[in-house]
Amino acid sequence: MEYGLKPLGRERLWLWLMLTPTIIGLLFGTIGSLLATLGLSLFNWDLINPPKWAGAENYVQLFQNKDYIEAFANTLKFSALYVPAVVIVSLLLAVLLNRKIRGVGIFRTVYFLPAVTSAVATALVWNMIYGKETGILNWMLESLGFAPICWLCTDHAMMSVVIVNVWGAIGEGMIIFLAGLTAIPRDYYEAASLDGASDLQQFFKVTLPLVTPSIFFQTLISAINAFQAYDYIYMLTRRDQGDSSVPVAVYSIYRNAFHFFRMGDASAQAIQLAILVGVFMAIMFWWERRYVVYE
Amino acid sequence: MKKLLFVLVMTSLLLAACGSKPAETGPVEITFTMWGAPEELAVWQAVVDDFHKVNPNITVKVDVSDWDSYWTKLNTLTAGGTPPDVFAMDAPLFLDWQSRGALLNLQPYIDANTGFLDGFYPQTLTAYKTADGYYGLPRDFQTIVLFYNKDMFDAAGVDYPTADWTYDDLLVAAKALTLDTDNDGKVDQYGFWSDTWDMELLWSEAIWAYGGEIISDDHTKTLIGEGGARDAWAFIDSLYKEGVTPTPTSSGEYGDDLFQPKVAAMTTIGHWAVPGYVQAGINFDVAPMPSGPAGRATSVNSAGFVIAKDSKHPEAAFEFIKFALSEAGQKRLAELGFAIPVLKSVAESDAYLKQPGDLNQQVFLDSVDFAQTKPVFKGYEEWAGVVGDGLIPVFDGEAELNAILDEVIAAADEVLAANK
Repeated sequence: MEYGLKPLGRERLWLWLMLTPTIIGLLFGTIGSLLATLGLSLFNWDLINPPKWAGAENYVQLFQNKDYIEAFANTLKFSALYVPAVVIVSLLLAVLLNRKIRGVGIFRTVYFLPAVTSAVATALVWNMIYGKETGILNWMLESLGFAPICWLCTDHAMMSVVIVNVWGAIGEGMIIFLAGLTAIPRDYYEAASLDGASDLQQFFKVTLPLVTPSIFFQTLISAINAFQAYDYIYMLTRRDQGDSSVPVAVYSIYRNAFHFFRMGDASAQAIQLAILVGVFMAIMFWWERRYVVYE
Repeated sequence: MKKLLFVLVMTSLLLAACGSKPAETGPVEITFTMWGAPEELAVWQAVVDDFHKVNPNITVKVDVSDWDSYWTKLNTLTAGGTPPDVFAMDAPLFLDWQSRGALLNLQPYIDANTGFLDGFYPQTLTAYKTADGYYGLPRDFQTIVLFYNKDMFDAAGVDYPTADWTYDDLLVAAKALTLDTDNDGKVDQYGFWSDTWDMELLWSEAIWAYGGEIISDDHTKTLIGEGGARDAWAFIDSLYKEGVTPTPTSSGEYGDDLFQPKVAAMTTIGHWAVPGYVQAGINFDVAPMPSGPAGRATSVNSAGFVIAKDSKHPEAAFEFIKFALSEAGQKRLAELGFAIPVLKSVAESDAYLKQPGDLNQQVFLDSVDFAQTKPVFKGYEEWAGVVGDGLIPVFDGEAELNAILDEVIAAADEVLAANK
């Protein structure tokens, strides 16, 4: 099945011309660097001396290096908290904002704002919110008679970072789900309510099955983002000597490569992360074939 | 992720593209990069202009970046085979660079200039010395001293710190200076604040003063848990437990430095902080570091010059270093007010002693007498992360000192073993 218009004559030339920058970027930027990383992962390279052959050594290290194992576990933990939270919260938000209420445009804009704001800038604001002594959150807790919490100390940092990342992601998730929701024909709801289905029943029997394509897409995107989460984590949990209270895999890759001059180790870690993302995507597509309902 | 991969590819491409041979004829241009504040660029430009007048054949291009970008830039340029001819080096990181073969041995050039190093403070030279000579030279140095806010001491009726102070005196004064000025049950003024993530500002001094050591001479063993060192940590922990200083994680809420916004009454820091404090209009002075059961100690650390091993103009590069380390160059740097000149004659002259701010500048110089060099060893950055960041949960009040210290020391020793 083909869609759209086919390019004709000179248009074909223009088509390729316009696509060239993207294709070059893809070839060198993405595929080229993927191959380079794959190659580097088999060498030890300190950025100055010529790379030395290491074979599988850097991959063996993945299972022995305590710091990296901790970082990898943190990435899994982060993803396990982040992905369901983003999908559920943005779906609920989309359902709430998919009705005719006054100022719905304003609400939608407000929830989408984090997606178009610089993560560095918003992380600075979150630092103020989370501050133990001067933060707004603790000021609220204390006014209600609770003890202040050190949100960014080691014990709570994971939770605090997940909250900020979810907050930053629900705007985009909401848009995806809104698109999915508006595609559901209204007759289904009319029919359901004629049959006496309650709002809750309508949500579970009509809405949920029909937005499974959006849920699938959003889960996939959120998972990829979760494995690569870095900016908020860097801004909120970086300690003064460069470590983090929530070191994740990408954090470890960055430090090994550019601070400890271990390009080989960093590349092997990057490849492992890429494989993990690949495996996860494969599982998701299997799941899609079984459970996702397309009309 | 993508950015990282991109950099990886670019660096490997650059690496392949480079590698030409030196040729010395006629006028040459050399590059010099360093980290620093933007205002430092003007002073370095002045040094470079003075140098160009004496050596019209050599043009120096100066580049100043902030600390983080500086190292990123340097890594990329070096990996690409086009390192700057002369670049700034932080002494503790020196061996990480030298051991990778990135630096030129300066010994032949030093030997050719008899008496060149005679006027230097000897403590500043040790960091750059290796078995086969100097691979770098100090440019200026820092001793750590105790800064105190005179207005806060006066208001609280506490006597100014003296040269007889012990760490216990510091704690007593800090308690008297920790105040809840508006009676809302929260501290508004802390008695003391210092960084405990980096050894330079407080914990190395305390460990030495309590009779401990940082690292074994052969760089294989971390000694921060032995003998007097444990007492030093207990003292530092007590600063947090007594609440005279905010926990490391909450200090960030007040900015990078709590002395400058007048939140803390005392701090231990080096000369680089002086211009900022003067500009902030703080009424302050300095005293030597307090002493501990094993006497008094402070840390001396330097910023230095190194020349890239692959520099095409090593002679010109060395000429520039020589000039920056001469009296003329050192006087210019003294004007900057960020550090102490390595040339004794300049440090003890009005160029250094009569700087704006009306401080007892002599304290910084006298501290050299009981200063120990900040340790320099391979794997420093990773080791410092393990130790400095590893202890944060203790000072944040989430973990018990001795248990974490044992864990941290074991991890630090692993880093040393991996960097052997």
